[in-house]
Amino acid sequence: MDEYPGKIRLVIKFYPYKYRDFAHIAAQAALSARSQGKFEQMHYKMLAESPKLDKASLMRYASEIGIDAKRVAADIEKMTDSATIERDKKLATDMDLFNTPALFVNGRRILGNVPYEYLKKAIVEELDALGKK
Amino acid sequence: MLWAKSKATIVAALAVLMLAGCSAVNMASGDSGERGLSPLAPLGEVPIPKDNPMSEAKVELGRMLFFDRRLSGDGTMSCASCHMPEMAFTDSLPISLNYPTTRNWRNSPTLINIGYARTLFHDGRAVSLEEQALFPMMSAFEMNQNLDFMEEEIREVPQYVAAFKDAFGAGVTRYRIAQAIAAYERTIVSKNVPLDRYLAGDVSALSADAKAGMELFLGKAGCIRCHGGAYMSDGGYHANGVPENEMVTDDPRTAITVRFVAKVSGYEDYENLTEDPGRYLVTKRPRDWKAFRTPTLREVARTSPYMHNGVFATLEEVIEFYDGGAGEGNSERLAPLGLSADEKRSLMLFLTEALSGNEIEVKYPKIP
Repeated sequence: MDEYPGKIRLVIKFYPYKYRDFAHIAAQAALSARSQGKFEQMHYKMLAESPKLDKASLMRYASEIGIDAKRVAADIEKMTDSATIERDKKLATDMDLFNTPALFVNGRRILGNVPYEYLKKAIVEELDALGKK
Repeated sequence: MLWAKSKATIVAALAVLMLAGCSAVNMASGDSGERGLSPLAPLGEVPIPKDNPMSEAKVELGRMLFFDRRLSGDGTMSCASCHMPEMAFTDSLPISLNYPTTRNWRNSPTLINIGYARTLFHDGRAVSLEEQALFPMMSAFEMNQNLDFMEEEIREVPQYVAAFKDAFGAGVTRYRIAQAIAAYERTIVSKNVPLDRYLAGDVSALSADAKAGMELFLGKAGCIRCHGGAYMSDGGYHANGVPENEMVTDDPRTAITVRFVAKVSGYEDYENLTEDPGRYLVTKRPRDWKAFRTPTLREVARTSPYMHNGVFATLEEVIEFYDGGAGEGNSERLAPLGLSADEKRSLMLFLTEALSGNEIEVKYPKIP
């Protein structure tokens, strides 16, 4: 995103792993942060702190990035955005996706943990194809 | 059969060697698996083991199982997760996909022509496809399945019970699951590539540049020393000093995998192991330290990234690696090749043009 400003757009979908204790509440915490205008900060904070994603930790991260932690806790309690999360999970299932991360660069499927250079090559090729580089 | 070739074929292969001015070099035999220099040859029929004859019913059953995620503990992984047909039966990643929350540590090899391989895995720890198939299912960082549980999961599906009866005249067992998958894998074949046609006498099958590349392959570049024969692999193990991949050495989750594999392989100092010992884990012989199985070069253009740890993204990088005399401490005493830029280009053309066939069509099964 930093390297190609204005040329690429990142769309994130949720796919909380079914056997991870905190995956669903972490997705909810991210959406709660989004409703408070700080999705990106929460997203990166959780990635950095993973797998410490229990409710108390999520509230602490919320405070650290400057959003209302109590609101995050309430959203987790109610799973306010479960419809969004379930919609994304269904999308993944419909697309036969079971691995994370699963990235699509203009439709080009890249599964798994890939080095940055690998991803960059795909981005450059797609930008080239669009004449945007 | 694999080793049976017509006299005409052998003559054609020898003629190629003579054209290239390459004399046969006797390699050290023994642990490295070499059995003398094998000339290139057209690929014959896939060898079929006597105790697992092919049948249409068995191949179809194997195809279903190959794509079935029931074979993994959490239902997220099938054999095809790491051997995707649209990616030349690899996952195209430097380090192969992993079971969720874990990390793998090696590259996923292609299954194209895997039926010709004498041993399986980068360290050769399986000697048949039947033996190989169950390893990833049990592996904690691959499919993480319990085989007793898996048998019952498959037995629960009436279509599978019927398919096993058709294929084997018997019920579901883990070994028959492996046999069916192995039978399917033996159908994943690429032959009659330009090199095969050239060796069979069609001199127009290769361009002049590709022919020049082949001469380098057989001669100055010395690739034939390990990549000879119809399968283009000596089936041996070589410590070429391939650099470590930081994806393996720098990720604490991969460190878990390294120690785990060493532990279950009986490596005494597994708690302090931080690198991949390769074939040594199987044999415990010092000369096998960091030795890895020679892969086939057939369809190599489509199976990037390369080496057991996917450390090289392109064939150009692989050529540069060997042109520089391979890696530090390589036990093969490989010297720099001194290839010119034109020679590297020709070699590259041979590897891409001569060894690539048509896309393999895959019929995706309906999973019951």
